[in-house]
Amino acid sequence: MLNLVARNRVIMLVLVMAVACLALGVAAPGYLSGATASVILSNSLVLLLISLGTMLVILTRNIDVSSGSILGLSAATLGLSLNAGVSLPLAIALCILTGVVAGAINGLLVAYLRIPSIVATLGTLGLYRGIMLIQTGGRWIEGLPQDLKALAGSIGFGVSVLTITVLALFVLAWIFLRRTRFGRYFYAVGDNRDAAHHLGVPVRRVQFTAFVASGACAAIAGLIFAAQIGFIPNQAGNGIELKAIAVNVLGGVSLLGGSGSVAGVFTAAIFLTSIDSALVFLKIPAFWNDFIAGAILLIVLLLDGRIRLLIDRRIRARRYAVHDRAPQAGEAVGRSPEKIAENALLAEASR
Amino acid sequence: MTAEIVAGRAAQLTGIWKSYGSVPVLKGVSLALQKGEVHALLGGNGAGKSTLMKIMSGLVPANAGSIEINGEPLTHASPALAQQLGLYLVPQEAHILGNQSVLENICLGLRPSPRTLRKRVEQLIAELSVTLDLDAQAATLEIAERQIVEILRGLIREARVLILDEPTSALTPFEVHALFQRVRKLQAQGVGIFFISHKLREIREICGTISVLRDGVVVLSGPLDTYSDAKIIDAMSRVATGATPVVAERSAREGGAVRLSVRKLSGEGFRDISLQVRAGEVLGLAGVVGAGRTEFSETLFGLRRQSAGSVTLDGVELSSRSPRRCIDAGLVYLPEDRQQNGLFLDAPLYWNTSSYLIHRLPFFLRPGRERGLFNGFRQRMGIKCTGPGQSAKALSGGNQQKVLMSKCLSAKPKVLVLDEPTRGVDVAARNDIYALIRQLAADGVAVILISSDFDEIELLADRVTVMAFGQLGGELTENISVDAIARLAFGAGEQAHA
Repeated sequence: MLNLVARNRVIMLVLVMAVACLALGVAAPGYLSGATASVILSNSLVLLLISLGTMLVILTRNIDVSSGSILGLSAATLGLSLNAGVSLPLAIALCILTGVVAGAINGLLVAYLRIPSIVATLGTLGLYRGIMLIQTGGRWIEGLPQDLKALAGSIGFGVSVLTITVLALFVLAWIFLRRTRFGRYFYAVGDNRDAAHHLGVPVRRVQFTAFVASGACAAIAGLIFAAQIGFIPNQAGNGIELKAIAVNVLGGVSLLGGSGSVAGVFTAAIFLTSIDSALVFLKIPAFWNDFIAGAILLIVLLLDGRIRLLIDRRIRARRYAVHDRAPQAGEAVGRSPEKIAENALLAEASR
Repeated sequence: MTAEIVAGRAAQLTGIWKSYGSVPVLKGVSLALQKGEVHALLGGNGAGKSTLMKIMSGLVPANAGSIEINGEPLTHASPALAQQLGLYLVPQEAHILGNQSVLENICLGLRPSPRTLRKRVEQLIAELSVTLDLDAQAATLEIAERQIVEILRGLIREARVLILDEPTSALTPFEVHALFQRVRKLQAQGVGIFFISHKLREIREICGTISVLRDGVVVLSGPLDTYSDAKIIDAMSRVATGATPVVAERSAREGGAVRLSVRKLSGEGFRDISLQVRAGEVLGLAGVVGAGRTEFSETLFGLRRQSAGSVTLDGVELSSRSPRRCIDAGLVYLPEDRQQNGLFLDAPLYWNTSSYLIHRLPFFLRPGRERGLFNGFRQRMGIKCTGPGQSAKALSGGNQQKVLMSKCLSAKPKVLVLDEPTRGVDVAARNDIYALIRQLAADGVAVILISSDFDEIELLADRVTVMAFGQLGGELTENISVDAIARLAFGAGEQAHA
C-alpha cells in the first residue's frame, strides 16, 4: 500500500480528490453533478495547457517562468489581427506562431547560449509582457468577433471544441513521452545531462524542443483565454506560470527533472481548479482561495516527503538485510576466496 | 570472427593537440590501437589521459589532429557519431539516470526498445557472472553496480573499440576476475580496448601493450613485457613530482597508549563492531565494497545515528556524537567521495583547508592567516596549484586529495579515519599520501585506514581488522598479506571472535 502510494502520485491525488468531492457532496448538495464537472473542466483548460508546457521544460531540468507572458503576447497577437480584419484561421495560426517564436527564443537562450533557464525566462517574462503592452498601447483589446467566442461554446455534453483540443493535446503528450524514443530523451536529459550527452542523446535539441513546445502550449492557452472571456486585458496570464509550477509539483513532477507524468499534471490541475468551485458551493468568500490552495499544496508535499523518507529507509534496510544472511554462505574454512565469494553472491541473488 | 577482421587497426589518433585556456593539456599525441589488442594507458593525474579519451569519444573537441575509428574519421566532436563508428567509453564515474530503471539505463540511446534488448542484456549479465536487478530504480544501485551498468552499456553496443577508464576501481576481486575473462573474450573477437588503470598488477594481468602519458606527451610506448614496473613508474612520474616509490618501512611502533576504543558499535548497515587503535598505529580496516565500512566510519564520526555501543577517545566517552564534537575532541574523518562529501569545489583552496574548523574561525575572518595555513600544507605535501585562491575543482584528482588531507590535518587530529584515501589518485600522488600517513603515525596520530585496495593495506597497516557483511570478519596482526585479507573479507564468520 505504502509503495503504491509513493510510486503513484496520480493514484494518491485521485483518492484525495474523490474523498474531498464526496465530503463536499454531503456538505453541499448539488455539488456532485455533471454541470459542476463541466464547469470545472472548462475553467481549468488554460491552467492545464500552461502546466503541460511547463512540465515538458521541467522534465529536462529547466524552468519556464515566461509562459504567462507568452500567453498574453500571443492572445494580443490574436486579438489585434482579428480586429484588423484577419480571418479566424489565419489569426489562430499567427497566435500559435507567436508562441512558437517566443518559445524558440527561450530555447535558444537556454540550450545554445547556455544562460541558466531561470534567468533567461525571467528576462523574457518581462520582455514579452513589454512587447504586448507596446503592441496594444496599454489598452485592453475588446470587441472580439463572435466566431472566436463561439469556440468556447458547448457542442454537446457541456464540452467545447477547446476542451476536445486540450484533451487531445494531453493524449498526444502522453503518447509522446511514454511511447517514443525522443520522448524518453526528455526524461534522460533531465535525469542526468552528462550521462545523456555521453550516450549520444542530442541534449540541446531536446531542451530547445521543450521550450518551443511550452511556447506553443502557452499560445493555445492564450487562444482559449480570449475565446472564453471575450476580451484581452493587459494582465492576461499574469502569474499563471507560478500556478503551473505548483500544479507540476503537486502532480509529482520533480523540479530536479527526469520524473513526472502527464496524468499527474492533469489530475493536479483539475484538483486545484476544483478547489475554487468547491469554495463557491461551500459559500466561503473567494478571497480564501489562495490560502486554501496553498495550504493543500503544502499538506500534500509534506505527506509525500514523509512517505518518500519511509520508502528510502525500507530500501536501505532491504539492502543491508543481505548482511544477516550472507555469513552462512561461507561456512567452510579454507576454501578459495573465489568459491566463497561465489557463495556470497548466490546468497545475494536469492534474496 | 574471421582472421581478416582480427588483423588491422581499430583506432588511430594522430597529432592531437588540446589546450584549456592557455594551458596545453595534450601536445601532439599519436596513438594506434590494433584490433584484438588490450592497450594499457597510464599516466599521472593531469597527464592528459582522460582528456585524450574524451576527445576520442567525441565528448570534447580537439584543437588539432585527427581521429580515426575503424577506418572512418571522426569528423566532428559528437558522442553519437563516435558510437556510430563503433567506439564506446566506459567512464570512471558511472553516468546513471537515477529515475529510470536499470534496463532503461543500459539501453538508452539505442534504436531498439529496451524490451526487445532485455534478453541480450540478461545474457551479458550471466556472462559477467554478476547479479543485477534490471527493473530496480537505478538510484538504488551501489557504486560497483553502477560500474557494471556502464560496462554493460559498452558490451550491448557491440563496440569495436572500447575504452575502459579505471573499470575496476569499485569492483571486488571476484568481479574483476569475471570482467577480465569477458575482456579476453572480446579481445579474441577482435575488439580493440584501451585500458586505463592505476593498478600495475591488473595491467600486467590483462594488457599486451602499454603507453605512458606525461604532461601531454607519450613518453613510453611498446609491448608491456619489455618494461619493468620501476621503469614504468619512473616514466610516469620523472618530471611530474620526482617521487620514487616508497618501500614499506614498517617500524615497530608498539606500546602506544590506546587512543580510540569502540565497543560493540551498531548502526545502519553494520553491527557489533569493536576495535581499538593506539597512538602511532595504522589500523587497516579492510573489506569489500558494501561490507559496511563507510557506514561504520560515518556513524563513528556522528554523521549517522548509532543504535548501540560506545566510543571512547583518550579515556573519555564520546556520546551523542556530531561531526563538530568529534572534530573538537580530535577524531577526524576523511570522506570516501571527495567530490560529493569532501571538497567545496568552487571555493578557493584555503577555504577548503580551514573548512573543518569553520566553527572556530573568528567572527571577522582573517583570510591572511588562512592563506598562510594553506601555504604551509602546500609546501609540506607538494600540492600543485597556482595559489591559495584557486578553486578546488581546477586541480587534478591527486592534488584534490591532498587538499582534502590538509583539511583533515588542520584540525590537528588525534585519531584520523581515512576512507579510501587514494581512490582515483595516480601512483606518484599515492606515494606522497602514503609517506604522509606514515609521517602522521610516527608523530603519534592513531590512523584508521579504510581501503578496498588490499595491496595498500598490506603496505601501510600495522594491524588489520576485516569487516564482512556488516560484522567483524577477523583480525590480522602479523603476516598481513593480500590473500589473508581476501580470505577474511569474503569468508566472514569463522575467525570473527577468535
